[in-house]
This record gives sequence, C-alpha cells and structure tokens, in this order.
Amino acid sequence: MGAHKTFWTRLLPAILLVAVLLLVLGCNNSDPQNTFSPAGDVARRQRDLFNIVLWPAVAVLVLVETLLVYAVVRFRRRKGDELPAQVHGNSRLELGWTIAPAVLLMALTVPTLSAIWDLGRAPAADALQVKVTGIQWRWQFEYPDIKDSQGKPLQVFDQLHIPVNKEIGAHLQSLDVIHSFWVPKLAGKLDVMPGRENRMWFNATKPGTYSGQCAEFCGLGHADMRLTVVAESEEDFQAWVDDQLKGGGSAGAKPGTPDLVSRGE
Amino acid sequence: MARAAEQKPSPILDAMRQIREDAASYRGIWSWITTVDHKRIGIMYGVTALGFFLLGGIEALLIRLQLSTPNARVLDPDQYNRIFTMHGTTMIFLVVMPLSAAFFNLITPLMIGARDVAFPRLNAFSYWVFLAGGIFMNASFFTGGNILHGELGAPDAGWFGYAPLTLNRFSPGEGVDFWALGLQILGIASMASGFNFIVTILNMRAPGMTLFRMPLFVWMTLVTSFLIVFAMPVITVALFELLFDRLFDANFFNVAKGGTPLLWQHMFWLFGHPEVYILILPAMGIVSEVLPTFARKPLFGYPFVVFSGIAIAFMSWGVWAHHMFTTGLGAIANSAFGVSTILIAIPTGVKIFNWLATLWGGSISLKTPLYFAIGFIAMFTIGGLTGVTHSIVPSDYQQQDTYYVVAHFHQVLFGGAIFGLFAGIYYWYPKFTGRMLYEGLGQVQFWLMFIGFNLTFQPMMILGLLGMPRRIYSYPQGQGWDAWNLVATVGAFLIATSVLIFIINVIATARRKERAEADPWDGRTLEWSLPSPVPAYNFAKIPTVHALDDFWHQKYAEDESGRPVPVAAGGSGEEEPEVDVHGIHMPSPSFFPLITALGLPIIATGLIYDPAIVAVGAAVLVVGIYGWALEPASE
Repeated sequence: MGAHKTFWTRLLPAILLVAVLLLVLGCNNSDPQNTFSPAGDVARRQRDLFNIVLWPAVAVLVLVETLLVYAVVRFRRRKGDELPAQVHGNSRLELGWTIAPAVLLMALTVPTLSAIWDLGRAPAADALQVKVTGIQWRWQFEYPDIKDSQGKPLQVFDQLHIPVNKEIGAHLQSLDVIHSFWVPKLAGKLDVMPGRENRMWFNATKPGTYSGQCAEFCGLGHADMRLTVVAESEEDFQAWVDDQLKGGGSAGAKPGTPDLVSRGE
Repeated sequence: MARAAEQKPSPILDAMRQIREDAASYRGIWSWITTVDHKRIGIMYGVTALGFFLLGGIEALLIRLQLSTPNARVLDPDQYNRIFTMHGTTMIFLVVMPLSAAFFNLITPLMIGARDVAFPRLNAFSYWVFLAGGIFMNASFFTGGNILHGELGAPDAGWFGYAPLTLNRFSPGEGVDFWALGLQILGIASMASGFNFIVTILNMRAPGMTLFRMPLFVWMTLVTSFLIVFAMPVITVALFELLFDRLFDANFFNVAKGGTPLLWQHMFWLFGHPEVYILILPAMGIVSEVLPTFARKPLFGYPFVVFSGIAIAFMSWGVWAHHMFTTGLGAIANSAFGVSTILIAIPTGVKIFNWLATLWGGSISLKTPLYFAIGFIAMFTIGGLTGVTHSIVPSDYQQQDTYYVVAHFHQVLFGGAIFGLFAGIYYWYPKFTGRMLYEGLGQVQFWLMFIGFNLTFQPMMILGLLGMPRRIYSYPQGQGWDAWNLVATVGAFLIATSVLIFIINVIATARRKERAEADPWDGRTLEWSLPSPVPAYNFAKIPTVHALDDFWHQKYAEDESGRPVPVAAGGSGEEEPEVDVHGIHMPSPSFFPLITALGLPIIATGLIYDPAIVAVGAAVLVVGIYGWALEPASE
C-alpha cells in the first residue's frame, strides 16, 4: 500500500508539470495570433508579465493538488480505523496561510501597476498617428498626417501598414456597436467604443505580417471582422504610401467594399 | 381588513377556506401544485433546474460541434449567436442559481431545526416565478419563424447583453426583449427567495442554534441571500433602462442621442460580479458540509471559513471593473480594480487551505459525494489561480475576451459550482427520496465528468493564449487552433455521457428496493437526525441545540485525549415522535402563489406584443395578490 501511495504522490506533480509544459510548448511560435511570441514592445511586456504570474501560480497549483491527492490517499478510511482526533483548527496555521498568500499577491501588484502606467501612457507626439474605426464588420484605418494632393487623408480597409520600430498612436472609435482592436503579437486589445475615443500606443519590432481580429462580440460578422498589420522598413512603407496616394492602392479594399459612410450614419 | 371580513360571514371567504381544506387532502400532481412544503418546493426547483441543465447542455454540444473543426457549418452565424447567448443565460439563471435554491430549500430549514421557511407561500411563489421566467425566456426560440427550418428567435446579444448591440437597430426582433423581460421575472423569484431565507435563518433557528453554531451551508445560504437582495436591484435598473430604450425609444444607451453604452457595463458587472459569488458560495457551503462528514472530522477553522465567506461577499462589490479592463477606463481605475481583484484571492485561498486541513488526518470515506467535493477543490483552485492572472491588468489585455476567460470561468462555475452541487445531490439524495443513489454508477459519473471537464476546458486555456477570441461562430484554418478545439469537443461529449449516467442512476435508484437509513453517512448536522425521507413536519419535536455539529455530539463524546467515543444509543434517527404530530401547526396549501406568478409572464408578453395583454396579466396578478392576502387558514 505504501508503494502505491508514493507512486501516486510522485506521479501527480509530474503530470501537472507535463501539462504545463505542454501548455507552453504546445503553442507554436508561428501560430499567427500566439500571445507567447510577441513582435512588439507592448506585447512583449504583457507576455513577460504573464510569465511573472504564471510560474508562482503553477507552483501554488502543484502544491495544492499534491496536498489534496496526498491527503485523500494517505488518510483514506481503512478497515478497523478508529475515529480520528477532532481537530477544530489552528489559529497560527490559519493566519499563516492568510498572510503568506497576501504577501505573495501584494508582490505581484508592483510589476502590475508599473506596467499599467507605462502601457497606459498617451501616444508620443512624434508617433505615426492612425485613426482606427470599427464598423460592423470592417476595419477602417486613416492616416491623418498623410494626405493626397487634394488634402484628403489616406484611408485603407482591413490591412494596416506601419513602419517597423516606429511608435504608432492609435485613436479608436466605432461607428456602431462596441468592437475591440486586437493584434495579439503586437499588443493586447483595447475596445473600440461608439461615442468616445480610446487611445493606445504600440509598435512592431520585427518586420512581418501580423494577424488580428475584433475581440468584442459585435453581431453576425464578429468572427469575420479580421485585420492584418504589415510592418515593413521605412522605405517600403514610404513606397506603399506613395503607391496608395497615386490611386493605385488596393490594399485591404476587398471587392465590394460597402459604402461605409452611409452605413455608419 | 381581514378581521372585518371575518366578522361578517362571506361566501367567498368560506369558499376559499373550503378550497384550502380540500387542497390539504390532494394527492399526486395537485398536491405539488398547491404545496408550500419547503422540501417539495426544493425538489421542484432541483428537477426543473436539471431539466434546464439538459437544455443548456444540448446548446453547449451544438456550440462545440460547430467549433470542432475550422469553417464548420453545423450552425449558421445567426443560430450560433442565439445558442451561445441562451447557453450562458440558461446555465447561470436557470441552472446554477435555482439548483442552489433547491439546496437552500431542502437543507436550510432542516439544518436550523425549523418546520418550514418563514414565508411558505412566498417560497412557492419564488418557484413558480422561476419556472414561468424560464419558460418565457425559452419561448423566445419560437418567435423567429419556423423553428423546424432552423429559424430561431432567441436573444442574440450574449448573456452579458452589451449595449448598444442590444438596441433595436442592431438586434431587431423580439429576442432581446424576451431576454430582458425574462431576467426581470427571474429577478423577482430570486429577490423573494433571498428575503425569505434571510428572515428564515435569522428568525426560525431552533433554541440554542446561535449564529456560530450554524452549519457552514446555512452561513453560505445567508451570505448568498444578502448578495441576491443587494445585487438583483442593480440589474433590474439596468434592464429597465434597456427595455425603455427598446420599447419606448428612450436614450440611455443610444450614442446618437447622447446615451452612454459604458453605463450598461458598469451596472451589469456591478450586479455581475456579486452574481459570480451568488453562484459559487452555495457550492462552497455544500463542500464544507461534505468534507467533514466523509473525513469524520469537524471543519478545520470554522470561524475562518465563515469570515472568509463574508469577506468574499463584501469584496465582490469592489471588483466589477475587472470585467472592463480593456474598455479604456484609464490607468487609475485599472490600477485600483487590479489590486482589489488581487486581494479577493486571499479569502478564497484561505478556504482552500482550510478544506485541505479538514481532510488532513481524517478517516476519509471515498464515496461519490466526497469525489465530487475533491473534484471541486481540484478544479476550483485552477479557476482561482487563473483569476489571479486576470488581475495582472496589462497581461489581461491579451486574455480578455479570449477562450482563456472561457476556460477560467468554467473552472469556477462548472469545475466549482456544478461539481459542488453534484456532491450535494449525492450526499442528500437519500434524505429526501429514501433511497441511496448507486455508488458504482456515481463514481463512473464522477470520473467521466472529471476527465471530460479537463479535456474540454484545459485546451481552451491554450486556445485563448493562442489568440482565439470568444463568441466567434467559426475560425479559419492555420491558426493552430484545430487540434485543441477538437479535443474540447470530445471532452464535451464525455461530459454529456456522464450526465446520461447520472440520469440512468436516478432511474435505477427509483426501482431500488432497499431503503436508506436515516443517517447513512454518519452525518454531523441536524437533518440526519430525521427519518429518510423527512416527514412533512420535519421535527416532531423542535430540537434544542447545544453545539456546532450538534447531531455528531449526540452520537459521540470526546474522551480526555480529544478522541471521540460513541455514546450509547445516541442520536438515533428512527425514534418514534414524542409528540402527537396532529398537534403540529403546518402552513396550508394554496393556489395563489401560482396564480400570482402566472400574471408576470403574461404582462411581459403584453409589453412585447400588445398592451391589452398587459391588462390581462395585471388582472391575473391582482387577483392572485388579493386572494393571497385574504386567504383564510384552513382548519
């Protein structure tokens, strides 16, 4: 019976560890919306923060589950068992397991609060400003500082081009219901609200095409409200802008783009 | 007024008294319809909630089928939206809440040594309103056209109903009206039941049952009832605003006219987070009863567990905005609510360690109720820890509205609440039916449910971290989500199989010949001192309580070393009643709770379709209330 007991109590932490490893390794970096393979400073900070809380959480999980299984196996009723001692509690122990988690949890507030303030700052003045408009079920991107010959700002749909290593100041607004702007490899989400402008900053530190989608339920086409962000070198970005302004642009404008102005009122 | 009526003989009152006297001798279905017996009402709550559990479960299976592979076409987007909305609404308001209410009804009066709740007819009214609200809500499925052709009419804006998606412009049709009015009806049921149990617990305890001699389940009933009476009014106001916008063109949430969509979220979650604890605290109470019984040890640190339950209830009012971290509230609000959310993990952790210490050093009987209670601790711990990860606000910007959140709250509400409630079902089943559920089938159910649960919801955690948002009807290939989704669907069908085995167990048990003893588990609390099933009057003689776990102390005394020793002939539950049971005053059955309850869905239907129907419903309601108020007691 003793061997049985140690077998289980040793197996359990092993199973849990394997499960957690699977969780981490089961995520392929090439998966387009994997939050564990950031390509921007904001997403990287968020990933690091998650890891800071993940490992203590895993440790507590392994501790609790091991104690639980150990207790059930070790103290299961056997034939001829006498009634156990009627222990009603132990104030010192209980204070201990009130204070210890409190200390651990309060320690977590330090990196949390500093990240809230760092990531929550307003976009820098010299950032590339982009107006992001959510419309059931498309994304409209407008560059207010990039204008064509008639002074009309550049507008594209569903595919946002940005220069790599440049801060982007995104101004989010919705024309209808609440949406949420989310490109997991670049930054966590921020809601796109009607009647109020939300602002966020992010950047891409590696060139590439990043996939994102609306994260707030917004009706029938919610699952199809996808977008991509193309991060490219400054020259490539300029070339793309010039191409768009010449009218040759087709970026993101799928055939049959609805007339958004009339739909959005 | 009643006295004046008594002085003048009135044919109407005589007829009402006669009806009530006749009702006392009804058998079969009519005796259930007129019952005011807390045990029968509890059974009706339980059976109805399990019926809705099957319905919500079928909805879950449809969702999982649709998501099992990329680009699936089991459901179209419209059907998918309606079904996931109804799955959430059903499981929260029509399954976990009423199943908890079933246990409040069945157990609480017995545990405090009372003959019934404080307001027996109000109790019947709560049940009928709940049933009416549940049927009304689900009737919306039929309003979309031909349901046989897949034209569903149910609400389609999610159980959280975020404005402005719920406004007529974005959700035409009657679905959202049914949803909002259905929730109002269910809110009335919850409020009535909340007040009833607060008064019952505070006023109806047997002599000697001080607050700190109350079993933990009674404490959790009390705390939950307080949460209900304070939380429900908040959603009631929010729903009225939504209904005014939809039915009368008001502008609470209409941005074009200066409305504020965010107002809805604040009110919804100010209700919604206490609601989470309304769903989990009763299950915590059940687990706190099951563990001591099966470990044959008292609950470790009873005052700590009581106070941490109360602390959780208070703190639940200060964390609502953690549902809104990504709405752009700003760094100050996000910091404050991040910290308050971190803090609520402390009392929750205290409970888990106290449960572990209760098991520690015990003599643990590995029976089905204990398995489910262990499953509760094992899974709820994951739910709590993932909750802590949400409080790390910037990290939550990635996880918010993804399958990681779906995994988290199913750990709490399924791994926690549903496992705890099944522990309660297996534990107390013999007390009310007189038969023990089969142990073998029970353990098979547990393992299937436990494995199925983990296969369904742990992959969702990975899916969320891989960037899969919630509430999407489909997803393209190449996201790395295919395999995990398939595993989750397989797990969901294992859970369904486990529920099937539970149904088989109930049916097989009904044919069982042998009867359960009064005290089959060597219980600690007063309900086990009564025969199984419990007679209508509960206690032939109201007990006098001397200690926490009073019934245990009737059975066992402690020797000098603190070891319990059995008391000769202590605590037999089969004793003949010492008093004449005909001398016990019991509340009379009544039709009026049902009639009053019927008025509400009629009024709600009228608000959607025709004011004339409102008048009919109001008339029914008024007749019900008048009859209720003037109804004379039988005798």
